[in-house]
Amino acid sequence: MAFAPMGPEASFFEVLDRHRESLLAALRRGGQEPRSGGSRLASSSEVLVSIENIIQDIITSLARNEAPAFTIDNRSSWENIKFEDSVGLQMVSHCTTRKIKSDSPKSVKKFALILKILSMIYKLVQSNTYATKRDIYYTDSQLFGNQTVVDNIINDISCMLKVSRRSLHILSTSKGLIAGNLRYIEEDGTKVNCTCGATAVAVPSNIQGIRNLVTDAKFVLIVEKDATFQRLLDDNFCNKLSPCIMITGKGVPDLNTRLLVRKLWDTFHVPVFTLVDADPHGIEIMCIYKYGSMSMSFEAHRLTVPAIRWLGLLPSDLKRLNVPKDSLIPLTNRDQMKLDSILRRPYVTCQPFWRKEMEIMADSKMKAEIQALTFLSSDYLSRVYLPNKLKFGGWI
Amino acid sequence: MEGTAVAVFEILRFLIIHWKCNIDVSKGALLEGQLEISIEGLHSKHQANALHCVTTIASAGSLFGGMVLKKFLKEIQSTLPGISAKLTWTSEEGSYPQDMTGVTPFQMTFEVDEKPRTLMTDCLVIKHFLRKIIMVHPKVRFNFSVKVNGIFSTEIFGRPNFGTIESHCSRIHPVLGHPVILFIPEDVAGMDLLGELILTPAAALCPSPKVSSNQLNRISSVSIFLYGPLGLPLILSTWEQPVTTFFKDTSSLIDWKKYHLCIVPNLDLKLDRDLVLPDVSYRAESSEGDQSQNMDPQGQTLLLFLFVDFHSAFPVQQMEIWGVYTLLTTHLNAILVESHSVVQGSIQFTVDQVLEQHHQAAKAQQKLQASLSVAVNSIMSILTGSTRSSFRKMCLQTLQAADTQEFETKLHKVFREITQHQFLHHCSCEVKQLTLEKKDSAQGTEDVPDNSSRELLAGTNGQAENKRLKRGSLRMEEMRALHSARAPSPSEAAPHRPEATAAPLTPSGRAALKAHGRALAPGRVSLGSRLEVTERAVRREGCGGRCRPRAAAEGSSPRAPLFPQDVLWLQEVSNLSEWLSPSPGP
Repeated sequence: MAFAPMGPEASFFEVLDRHRESLLAALRRGGQEPRSGGSRLASSSEVLVSIENIIQDIITSLARNEAPAFTIDNRSSWENIKFEDSVGLQMVSHCTTRKIKSDSPKSVKKFALILKILSMIYKLVQSNTYATKRDIYYTDSQLFGNQTVVDNIINDISCMLKVSRRSLHILSTSKGLIAGNLRYIEEDGTKVNCTCGATAVAVPSNIQGIRNLVTDAKFVLIVEKDATFQRLLDDNFCNKLSPCIMITGKGVPDLNTRLLVRKLWDTFHVPVFTLVDADPHGIEIMCIYKYGSMSMSFEAHRLTVPAIRWLGLLPSDLKRLNVPKDSLIPLTNRDQMKLDSILRRPYVTCQPFWRKEMEIMADSKMKAEIQALTFLSSDYLSRVYLPNKLKFGGWI
Repeated sequence: MEGTAVAVFEILRFLIIHWKCNIDVSKGALLEGQLEISIEGLHSKHQANALHCVTTIASAGSLFGGMVLKKFLKEIQSTLPGISAKLTWTSEEGSYPQDMTGVTPFQMTFEVDEKPRTLMTDCLVIKHFLRKIIMVHPKVRFNFSVKVNGIFSTEIFGRPNFGTIESHCSRIHPVLGHPVILFIPEDVAGMDLLGELILTPAAALCPSPKVSSNQLNRISSVSIFLYGPLGLPLILSTWEQPVTTFFKDTSSLIDWKKYHLCIVPNLDLKLDRDLVLPDVSYRAESSEGDQSQNMDPQGQTLLLFLFVDFHSAFPVQQMEIWGVYTLLTTHLNAILVESHSVVQGSIQFTVDQVLEQHHQAAKAQQKLQASLSVAVNSIMSILTGSTRSSFRKMCLQTLQAADTQEFETKLHKVFREITQHQFLHHCSCEVKQLTLEKKDSAQGTEDVPDNSSRELLAGTNGQAENKRLKRGSLRMEEMRALHSARAPSPSEAAPHRPEATAAPLTPSGRAALKAHGRALAPGRVSLGSRLEVTERAVRREGCGGRCRPRAAAEGSSPRAPLFPQDVLWLQEVSNLSEWLSPSPGP
């Protein structure tokens, strides 16, 4: 054993181990996850040549007295997204596109900004340096206007060149935390040990560069909120249910957090569970981890973990545990709309139990945060709820 | 201005008024036809150092057909009492066979003795008058020829037969203001008008921002053109001192300080120029110590057209219009002073719109230029940073550049050309190109008519122009309500939005505005002028700038080749009445 045993006895994990076996069997039946399409890791020279080819096309258009234009996939259009159970949401192979023209008053600025960011990427790749999206924005905040513009253009470029954002030498700022039974070495040689007491380790910014991952974890628990994560840390959850790994994206996860979850799954095939609030927002966050997001669907195969299971807080738990009504919150109109939207998504069709839970929520018109469980006791979550769920297979 | 010029003015005015009032033409039709005006001067046998000038005005066809010739002669003679001219009609009634339309060509002659210098001045004044006529009557052509002691020159004023299709819209785009009723001072002696005088301003920038979008300069001059009823240029009785009291006080027009402009009258106008001579000209000087304006001679000119028309609930008689015209030529200043507040309000509103458009166009152009700079710099950054020689070489070869510096220059140029081309295509009255271009439905560019349907545009009043007309119009009832009130504020005027429609006019009001619109038929500045005038020279001289001396007797080819920059200037105001042309009838 790599770590001193502190957790429950081995029988505690029987159900988990069986679950893991079933997952592995499913993997063996279906083969490895497809890696076709979407973005890939490209070498620096490949990226440079791709950018130069774009410039050449532009110059050729100009020489013919034609206005050059970029052809961009419509990443955020449902008509260009399909669902596959093994991958999640991903872009279709022949998707609709839009043109960013240089001779249109409406789009000339965006055309110029795409070129600007391409030139910045070119320099980063050439010099083998990295920058975050935020760094790029601040190189000329007046020109870009706002961060969202930069983010979208970077995603468009990644999709257009069919290379990962990392290959463009653009990092996403990590905001996630990880704790538990895991150690690895970062690209620069830094050794990281996530085993801890009351503190957690920040998710690294270079997931692709980490190596020598080692763990004995029986499960990975993705926690929606930082508050819940900290609470579990305070309750020494990682040690009580050791060996395990806890990770949080502090709400909607950033790219690196998603990449790390994916990497843990690819490397160890350890069961992954989510602990989210029993509300539409939490369910949506869970869906992002499991099936991916629309905007990043072109990178779905690198980011999604379709094997994720919903551990809690289930709407049916609220009734089962007799959570008092004053701990519940009525669904707002926005919640209703989001819930309806999730119910209409293609992946819900193959998750009847999830659908049922969402229908319970819709019928009751109530939601609850994980903190609602504190009505039973302040440590009910870490002492009773989670251990029982994990021991007896209370996931869907 | 002596006998010859005065006689020509009066005769032409009379002919046009006669045509409009007496000839049964379909509603919406524009004044159409060709007039030959020739002056032959020989040494006078009766006066020393004088020329005996024989002026002939002839019509080739349908313009003035149907007139009772002798009656016309009598009437015109009575309007020229001060002219010691012998007015003759050289074609007898019935002596010319009528064509299928039942109209008859005619020719009339008058003789005057004048000093040579006076004749030269008269010729220049006549040319300016003709230019102003064709600015609003596009289907009228004048063939003006002068022969003095054997030296012959001729010029044609009127719409040319373009053989080429413009690649972009080079017209100005006037903004029509809302009509206002003018007050006639009680002490102004005159006829008892059974109607009202309506002033409608129109303003535009020249060159059009849509053409010179990369040169959206400051306003360097202001030119005002005065028109009376039926689109006839007003020749004020004080024409030699064109800046009347009303216009001398520059603040009487509008609040120039609002635009950071300091306007002073420009009296340095010379007759011997090939360009349209404004009736009033101002020069913009720097205000508040802004030196850049003074240092920028190539600014834009703000063109202001003031149309004074006559509206009546009763059918307007020919002599009534003649009387109105006479009233205006002698008392325009007093009328404008009396109506100062409404005039100022209407002009201010109109100029506000034009300059706001100019401001928006300048902003859009700035954004475009900024974007192009970013694009070019980004490409250069990649090109100069590349270590792949094949890539660099390919780029340079593609643009046929010897080095990166030349490449950058060419890159700027070609980007500018491509984007300006598209920028101009957003003009609503553009023409289709010869080569079929892919329509960009995402951009929503409008389908434009081809050159052959230019008349159709003029005749049927293109939608964009119609919207402008409607935008500026006020209901006649509203105008009357404002008769004794202050000048209407823009909020009281017709809404600005293109989709706003004019409230229905009373029948007479509608007819009056239609008549007004019909009078303002499209016209073109003379093409007979020597076409060496470049846009740069024009802007330097401009509407109100210094003129280029030009010999009056210099011959010119009526069909000189057209250069793009010349066409641009010559169409300075020539499209004015195209968009003022009447809507197709109720």
